[in-house]
Amino acid sequence: MIYRSLVDFDAQFRAAPALATWVCADDAHCRFTLGEDGRKFHDGTRLTAEDVAATYNSLRALKDTPLAAEFANIAEVKAVDENTVDFTLKSADSQFPARLIIGILPAGLIARNHDFARHPVGSGALKFVAWKRALTLERVADGQRITLEEVRDPTVRVLKLLRGEADLLQGDLPPELVADLKTRPETRVLESPGTNYSYLGFNMQDPVLRDVNVRRAVTLAIDREAIARQVLVGGSRSATAILPPEHWAGNAALKPAPYEPEIARALLTQAGVKLPLRLVYKTSTDAQRVRLATIMQAQMRPAGIELEIRSLDWGTFYDDVKHGKFQLYGLTWVGIKTPEIYRFAFRGDHAPPVGANRGHLQDAELDALIDRQDWQAVTARVDALLPYVSLWYEGQFAAMRRDVTDYAPAPDGNWDALATIKKRSEQ
Amino acid sequence: MKKWPQCVLLFWLALAVVAPWLGFQPDAIDLAHILDAPSLTFLLGADDLGRDIFARLIAGAGVSLTVAGVVTLVTFTIGTTLGLVAGYHGGWVDRVLMHITDVFLAFPGILLAIAFAAVLGAGVDNLILALCLTSWVGYARLTRAQALSLRGRQHVQAAQALGASTPRILLRHMLPLLAPALLVEATFSIASLVVAEAGLSFLGLGIQPPHASWGAMLRDGARYLLVAPHYVLAVGLSLMSLVLAVNVLGDTLRDNLDVKR
Repeated sequence: MIYRSLVDFDAQFRAAPALATWVCADDAHCRFTLGEDGRKFHDGTRLTAEDVAATYNSLRALKDTPLAAEFANIAEVKAVDENTVDFTLKSADSQFPARLIIGILPAGLIARNHDFARHPVGSGALKFVAWKRALTLERVADGQRITLEEVRDPTVRVLKLLRGEADLLQGDLPPELVADLKTRPETRVLESPGTNYSYLGFNMQDPVLRDVNVRRAVTLAIDREAIARQVLVGGSRSATAILPPEHWAGNAALKPAPYEPEIARALLTQAGVKLPLRLVYKTSTDAQRVRLATIMQAQMRPAGIELEIRSLDWGTFYDDVKHGKFQLYGLTWVGIKTPEIYRFAFRGDHAPPVGANRGHLQDAELDALIDRQDWQAVTARVDALLPYVSLWYEGQFAAMRRDVTDYAPAPDGNWDALATIKKRSEQ
Repeated sequence: MKKWPQCVLLFWLALAVVAPWLGFQPDAIDLAHILDAPSLTFLLGADDLGRDIFARLIAGAGVSLTVAGVVTLVTFTIGTTLGLVAGYHGGWVDRVLMHITDVFLAFPGILLAIAFAAVLGAGVDNLILALCLTSWVGYARLTRAQALSLRGRQHVQAAQALGASTPRILLRHMLPLLAPALLVEATFSIASLVVAEAGLSFLGLGIQPPHASWGAMLRDGARYLLVAPHYVLAVGLSLMSLVLAVNVLGDTLRDNLDVKR
């Protein structure tokens, strides 16, 4: 919102022009031409090709960060004239434009080592004003001030909305509260299907879970439909892969696993597992996550699986996940846009700290498919190997007061629509 | 009416004890009845997973009272023993033991318990261990102070002159005189342990699902305060009644056992 990038994503998550349009001579040479929109930085200077080059060169100069690694493939960034930038790559990369989603910073401030983390300056629709207890932004187009405040308790958040202390709230409410807000005269609730992927991760080094049939049994022992219907917000749907089917690299042929506790039990027996199978599931102390875990625990029981829930404080939990100290863990991938996630999460050489292959999946065939960027085959192979139990894409919602218009929740829960939001002034 | 604290305590104890024979299913999930209001099927309503709140309250009472009881018993024994030895022996034994006590006393009890729960992992056994590790110091301090003054009493000196062994002096000649003060301390600590268990479970570090615990129920109930106030009210009032009863009981006990009167 504060920054603008060269490239953005369209509804199918393909790279779409934002600040610039582009032409690639081949997979290693691309020329970006800046358009007229968003060419003014908040400090008044004009955004030029020099700023683009300075931004990407400063990223490449960083050491030991994921961002530097992401752009290590760039051989040269050259500003040809005020509106034209040429990117030259070391090796061919057909998906290169989709990587240029980094906000462009003013070259002058980069040179002066400006503290962008505390005083961001970009060319986006919203301008940074202050960040003390709350974050205050100002819309460049009409000077509308927008304040973002963190309210931890869901009940307090809803009360603030009902009392008019807040105009809008988005995400992270128990569905019962969302349903309640729908019935109130002073509020409106908008829902949309989400794209953030919730899953259970298996530890592939575990002596029992190493067997794919055991993993399949766990997958069949969860009633996603019932959970999505009863205890998730509207717009939630069963998931099949990290990227949803409408994504250009999504796989619409995959079907969500049904709830078949009997088949699951049979699979476990065939695999020679002594029932009940005891599994330890680690999760955070977040109340909704614990609630969902408790439901899954009950659903798995008829399948002969005794799920032991361990809710740990976030630091301990995440540390255990990164170090492979788990049998099963539950997390959500948020805001994933490119199929590169499959390399990051599943390729054999991407175990932490390099990537997020936390369950230590090792599969030569999958690695080859990832390297070939054949995403249909990759998703099918992942679906066969089952390193994750796909759970659901949780729906998104925004609740707002009646006088708020021109706002819609984004599929990944971002706040971009603040660029258009309007509040009818009372007469 | 004067005996209401005993009645309340007995009520919860009795319910917790007979719970297994009442045929309740505190862990039976029913997604069709999420947050149902109190009715004939669900006496106090249903919780956020459609489970019977009344059944869970009883199951939770069992957990809360067991934790409080076990921890009190353990800490009472450890604290009193250390305090007696330190107070009676004096000298370097006293100094070493009391410095250890001071170290534990310097930590805020609940914070130390959170740290232990985080390191050891959540669960009933670890919860008991964490609470034991932090709550024995009160007994040790109290006993030591009392033992220091009792040590000089004539009946103790007489016992020493008669050649009684140290354990005999500690148990037969000093402990009975300490008992009133310690009992009062114990009742108060039961109340604070029930709250501490609730607190740790509230933070998600205590009892693990699906098992019921008052703290965890309070945490879940607070999320639905707006749409299902019966949930958090039922749990909150139960917790209040139990803690109040134990506290008043401790107060009465102190009044009755006060030697000065």
